Amino acid sequence: MRPILELRNLKMYYDTQAGQVKAADDVSFVLNEGESIGLVGESGCGKTSISMSIMRLLPENARIISGNIFFDGKDMVKLSNDEMNKIRWAGIAMIFQAAMNSLNPVYRVGDQIIEAITTHEPNVTFEEARQRVASLYKLVGLDPERMDNYPHEYSGGMKQRAVIAMSLACNPKLIIADEPTTALDVIVQDTILRELEKIQRKLNMSMIYISHDIAVIAEVASRIAIMYAGKIVEMSDSVTIFKRPAHPYTVGLMSSFPSIRGEKKELVTIPGEPPNLLNAPDHCRFAPRCPFATDECWKHMPSYAEVESNHFVACFHPQNLKKRVSANV
Amino acid sequence: MSDNEVVMKVENLNKFFPMKKSVFSRAKHFLHAVDDINFEIKKGKVLSLVGESGCGKTTTGKTLLKLYEPTSGKITFLGKDVTYIQSSEDRKWFHSRTQMIFQDPFESLNPRKTIFDIVAEPMNIQNFGTLRKRELMVMEILKRVGISPPDAFLWRYPHELSGGQRQRVAIARALVMKPEFVVADEPTSMLDVSIRTQVMKLMMELIKEMNMSFLYITHDLAVARYMADEIIVMYLGRIVEHADSEELINNPFHPYTKALISAVPVPDPEFKRKSVEIKGGIGKPIDPLPRCRFYDRCPFAMEICAQKEPELIEVGKNHKVACFLYNQERR
Repeated sequence: MRPILELRNLKMYYDTQAGQVKAADDVSFVLNEGESIGLVGESGCGKTSISMSIMRLLPENARIISGNIFFDGKDMVKLSNDEMNKIRWAGIAMIFQAAMNSLNPVYRVGDQIIEAITTHEPNVTFEEARQRVASLYKLVGLDPERMDNYPHEYSGGMKQRAVIAMSLACNPKLIIADEPTTALDVIVQDTILRELEKIQRKLNMSMIYISHDIAVIAEVASRIAIMYAGKIVEMSDSVTIFKRPAHPYTVGLMSSFPSIRGEKKELVTIPGEPPNLLNAPDHCRFAPRCPFATDECWKHMPSYAEVESNHFVACFHPQNLKKRVSANV
Repeated sequence: MSDNEVVMKVENLNKFFPMKKSVFSRAKHFLHAVDDINFEIKKGKVLSLVGESGCGKTTTGKTLLKLYEPTSGKITFLGKDVTYIQSSEDRKWFHSRTQMIFQDPFESLNPRKTIFDIVAEPMNIQNFGTLRKRELMVMEILKRVGISPPDAFLWRYPHELSGGQRQRVAIARALVMKPEFVVADEPTSMLDVSIRTQVMKLMMELIKEMNMSFLYITHDLAVARYMADEIIVMYLGRIVEHADSEELINNPFHPYTKALISAVPVPDPEFKRKSVEIKGGIGKPIDPLPRCRFYDRCPFAMEICAQKEPELIEVGKNHKVACFLYNQERR
């Protein structure tokens, strides 16, 4: 397996009048070709900031302080905006949050996808692009005849499919799906997730799924990164994350989710609220809510380390490990 | 008041919205948002309305609280017919005993009012007690919902609070008058996971403590399972299934309920769900034909399903289903 995307110690801060907001703080991960990973976290934990850093679609007050983003071997942080434009959509495409709003209401849906194709591949004729859109429509389960409809004539699920078709328009190597199903009803969500999984496997694409819903991520991602307050606190394959979560925050998340399978279990709550990332503290950011916190946690930031093979955790007191090892020594 | 008393009873409730082309034209078409619904909620019990968006669950809740006038049917609250309230006395009596918690705490709190004014508003409207008494009650309820210390928050504004704190304030406002009946419309769907569990638990505690009756509206069956004693599944304005929550989750009858349950993602990567058999999306119940509303999407649709509407019939203890698959001998 070849790595397609690698983030190395990425730091992305927002400068605000009140101070610096550390939206992505020392984030590292590797995504291999054909692999799908899930980024899970609560709102404001920096999930979307990471995807926007990768696409370099940042607002003016955001700065990539340090770190590298390697895509296909090239460090994208150093690229100029023109060079980035070539990578966007052709190399990395994105399915935005609230996809229903990312279609322009006054253009036909098909034409919007054709525009995306002809912008990035100027040699493609209109007819060829139309052909390609028709086959994309079939791929995502839409009737090609609906190409000439306007967005308001589509249902929520159909718009979502159209947006997925658009993201596939230029055969990207990587797709970032930011909350692709959050606004949809469960039954539609189910069909869209299955569609995405099928397409990903068929085209051997790499995917990054971003969601607050750990159950959705469990269904589609082979590896999962748990984010908390701008940092990845745990990352491993999805079975390990669910069966043996090591970080106390992950442990808490797992038992705070109501499930409709099995016995009705008592829900466990994580006390407190996620911290404000404005002038975030230097100690472990989960310490105020952590049942295992010790003096050490209030003094130092735990480093993000491999505690078992392919299981990365940033915690002084990792739980549920097979072999008791002390991390961060 | 005995514990078995029915607090809210709904009989053949209908709410149709006229679909007008312009303000002056007469409506020729009607959207059947709530169509012939029957249920009752006993003292201290939680009933959950579950369904996809556009199935009429919010309309039902709002009609119960008289935020909409029902088209027809009968609503009985504490033994009194409140379908059409005429006198202002009755209105005061009704509204001081019922409350609503809304979905979005960012929109349901007036940004120009302080937390004290927001929570005290129901008492101001009802002319309840002296200012001193109101202050004490606001402090007490804020403390109870976990806004502490309350005096540190009394003079703050909603924008200074986090989403979880705002929803707690919204709950405090709904419960400060100790209502008998509360409609909660997706109160946790805008909150983050770790906060959502806190708020769910808080509501459960308060329901027990105050012995309130709750109508809990949600699209999430897993949440309904945790909150409710009974669950009603709605589809296009109709009740399709009604049972005790564990029974409904573990032993669903209606094809739609089955599909809903199998569509809920499971937080376990090793669990392989059965795929959902139904296709397409939910439509709109505008002038619906007299047939099963699930007919177009149902994998088991039969001839009879296109000819008349299935009635809600008992298939087990406290378990009702509206589907011809289960009442063949009776049809």
